[in-house]
Amino acid sequence: MIRLSTRGLILIFGLFATASLAQEVSKKIYAAVLFNNSKSNVTGADRYVGVFARAKGKTEWKNFSNTNLFAFGLNFTQHGATPRYYVAGGNGLHRSADGGKTWKILTGWETLEVLSVALDPVDAKIIYIATPFGIFKSRDDGKNWAEKMRGCKSWYTDEIIIDARDRHTLYAAVDDDLYRSRDGGENWSPMQTGAPGIRTVIQLAAHSNVILAGTEDHGVRVTIDDGKNWSAGKGISATAIYAIHAASDGKAIYAGGYKTGVWRSHDLGQSWLQIWTAPEIEAIYSLWVDPANADHLFVGTNGKGIYESTDGGMTWKPAGLEGAHVKQISMFP
Amino acid sequence: MISDVTKKLLIILILFSVFTALPNAGRSQAAFGDRKIRFLNAASQEARKDFFTIIAKLHTQTNFQQAVSQLDSLTRDEGIGGMFYAYGLMAAYLHTRALLPDSFHAKIRQVYRRRTMYRGDTENHWVMYYTGLYLAAQTWPREDGAQWFNGKSSQENFAEAKSWLDHWIKLTTTKGQGEFDSPTYFNAFITPMLVLYDFAQDPVMKKRAQMLLDYLFADFAVEHLHGNYGGGHSRDYPQDIINPITALTTKWAWLYFGEPNFAPWSEIKGKSRHPSWEAIAGAASSYRLPEIIRQIATDRSTPYVHTETKRVRNIIRFGEERNPPVYKYTYMTNDYVLGSLHGGILQPIQQHTWDVTFVSEQPHNTLFTLHPFYSGKELAMFFPEEQKVLSDEVNRYHLVYTNPNKWNSSSPYEQTFQHKNVLLVLYNIDLNAQHHHIDGFFPKPLDERIEEASKWIFCKAGKTYIAFYPLQPYEWIEEEVNWRWRSRDRKNGVVVEMGTETTHGAFAEFKNRLRQAKVAHDNFDETLTVQYTTQTGEVMQFTYGGQRLLNGKPVDFKSYRLFNGPFLQSDVGSGVLRITYKNHLRILDFNKVSIKDEK
Repeated sequence: MIRLSTRGLILIFGLFATASLAQEVSKKIYAAVLFNNSKSNVTGADRYVGVFARAKGKTEWKNFSNTNLFAFGLNFTQHGATPRYYVAGGNGLHRSADGGKTWKILTGWETLEVLSVALDPVDAKIIYIATPFGIFKSRDDGKNWAEKMRGCKSWYTDEIIIDARDRHTLYAAVDDDLYRSRDGGENWSPMQTGAPGIRTVIQLAAHSNVILAGTEDHGVRVTIDDGKNWSAGKGISATAIYAIHAASDGKAIYAGGYKTGVWRSHDLGQSWLQIWTAPEIEAIYSLWVDPANADHLFVGTNGKGIYESTDGGMTWKPAGLEGAHVKQISMFP
Repeated sequence: MISDVTKKLLIILILFSVFTALPNAGRSQAAFGDRKIRFLNAASQEARKDFFTIIAKLHTQTNFQQAVSQLDSLTRDEGIGGMFYAYGLMAAYLHTRALLPDSFHAKIRQVYRRRTMYRGDTENHWVMYYTGLYLAAQTWPREDGAQWFNGKSSQENFAEAKSWLDHWIKLTTTKGQGEFDSPTYFNAFITPMLVLYDFAQDPVMKKRAQMLLDYLFADFAVEHLHGNYGGGHSRDYPQDIINPITALTTKWAWLYFGEPNFAPWSEIKGKSRHPSWEAIAGAASSYRLPEIIRQIATDRSTPYVHTETKRVRNIIRFGEERNPPVYKYTYMTNDYVLGSLHGGILQPIQQHTWDVTFVSEQPHNTLFTLHPFYSGKELAMFFPEEQKVLSDEVNRYHLVYTNPNKWNSSSPYEQTFQHKNVLLVLYNIDLNAQHHHIDGFFPKPLDERIEEASKWIFCKAGKTYIAFYPLQPYEWIEEEVNWRWRSRDRKNGVVVEMGTETTHGAFAEFKNRLRQAKVAHDNFDETLTVQYTTQTGEVMQFTYGGQRLLNGKPVDFKSYRLFNGPFLQSDVGSGVLRITYKNHLRILDFNKVSIKDEK
């Protein structure tokens, strides 16, 4: 068997074996997305990849999705009574509309792998996906997809998010720069962050003019004036930053990447202090800060599973899924 | 009473009479029939659990219960579920369903219902995945999405699989394959097409599969020499690169071309390192290779030049074009094949840019050079994972990616210029590259390997002569099966001129002539230019990063056709391949989905 790719798992913290995710929502479910697992490395035969879940207060992770679902990203929406879960994966964009019991792939072969998914907060039929060959949009609930790359120089896009203030404004982590669209993806403009290779992007919920981008070789780039000016995050390693996440009030922001350990900023990302060297971890792929308790953190690693901290990142302990490559960690409210 | 000995003699006599009475094509098919029975019998003795040995066991009614038990095991293990599995399962099921116990129909249906079949991310992955999905959707039509692992209905799955297969066939026949001419991955294209040919109910898809089989076998045939797949390859594994006869394609060559003249699964010399038996799909298939392709694969009476255009695999980062062209040059003789890709990163990880592969009774019948390059950036061009961890990730699967001694590599610092039996290879290795040396593989079984004051290194392997001229100092490192030629200058290169007993007479004569040859490379470190006059008086001048001049005229790769040589002709974008041999012509027109044979 030959394997060149290392692709997708989705983890969801603490799911009861027989319960649907929908039933668990009220109990607070941690969700994690896994795209590889060193416990099984046979091409297309990775039984440890997929969406896994763990309920708050529990320690056991359960596979929530189909087996072998190589996954990169996860999103969630609720229009009406039924929540919908979306998984960006190697086989395309998967959706479950019945609390995780069944899944359907919404994309065809044209979009290749799907790395990230953004969901319009108002119109449930509008979906955006980021792929190695660019950005695609569906206006009809995933039945049809159109490429939306007008204005982009490169096509590789790691992540796409929607502005918290305006659902028609989007940010895309394209390989040559961070791009913004103000018309629902029809046209894009580079934000001139000053560094290529954008790996991840966040907008602070509590300070919507603050946008941070993790880059391949230049650490964190940050703007506090909605993109008018960008600067380098001071102190943080000038290397690859794959994950940035912030406390709900924006007072603490955490970042991690390739051989970086975990870094923290208390000034909207303008300066950083390393709080965990994490020598045993080659790369941090994902970060999550508990919105209800900013001292409660998770990091997802490449091949070392998940680590958890309950003291604001000062101490960490393994939290399961050993061997897994964890691309995203989320919690459903 | 007739004795047993007499009986055997009579049978042999009858078989001989029948065989000799057949016309060429009939004789060829009879020989194929014999080989496929031998192959099925050999595979049916394999204990290994494998969809294709299961087909062989059930077909030959050998180890039947073992095969049924193995198939049962493969359907139970829900940890398995990738593209290799997706099409292998359908191949096994469709080839044997009449023989299987009733309970298996539901079991196999259940597999496509419960587990995600991972599609993967390479060309061969998708061919296998969509072939499996196409046949599964055809086998279980009119079922809704709840009955499928991906939530799509039978109709949706069928339409998607057909759409991609149509797209891939068009891309392949107009721009060329991405994973082209691979002694390993040939397997992963031919086998699905055989299964598709055998079981697609749509006559158009069946015909397309048949035409693509002809196409891929013809593509192999023109670079085939006595069981070896010679020249440049998009992807290959080190073990096969240094011992070409052990590649997976040798089994296909034996089955369809009748060469080599030994069974590739049983001979020590040629025993494949691969335990795979996918070629059973050929032995069990109703597809028959057109005689014209077998003749092209085996007639080496006249040397020829053959050129091709292929394409680079999908570039996702650090490129301005998604699938830039690859230019390939091959010179074929009865004794050796010298072939090269034009250079640069054309495929990640496993590229084999050039080699000479010669006919020999000994193993390791090849010689080549490379620059052992690796970088996360190279991988990030083709894989979406994090650039800085990719080298380590690839090392986990391919083991040798970062190794300075590896025998497969795509280097951005390597370029070639070939004209017939002469090859110039130049290197301009960046200071920031991880490894600054170039290596050459010189097999120990060479009859002779002589270094001379003239700077030429002369080698003899049977009737094949190799003259190898290094532009820079070098050293030899002895290894188990070879001498490693290593040169440590970043600005580097070699000149290779081939000869044979037929063209040069005795080896001494070949050496005498080459000693007179002039390799002009003054100020090479500054000019990166070499000029060489071949034994036939043609002047090749090559500047790294600059022009390739043949007798003063620039070589224009853009004029390369998709296929161009005495046997295959096709224009880029045409979708039409003309296969010619003597007065026979076979035209594959993928636009009209038609095959036309003419004499």
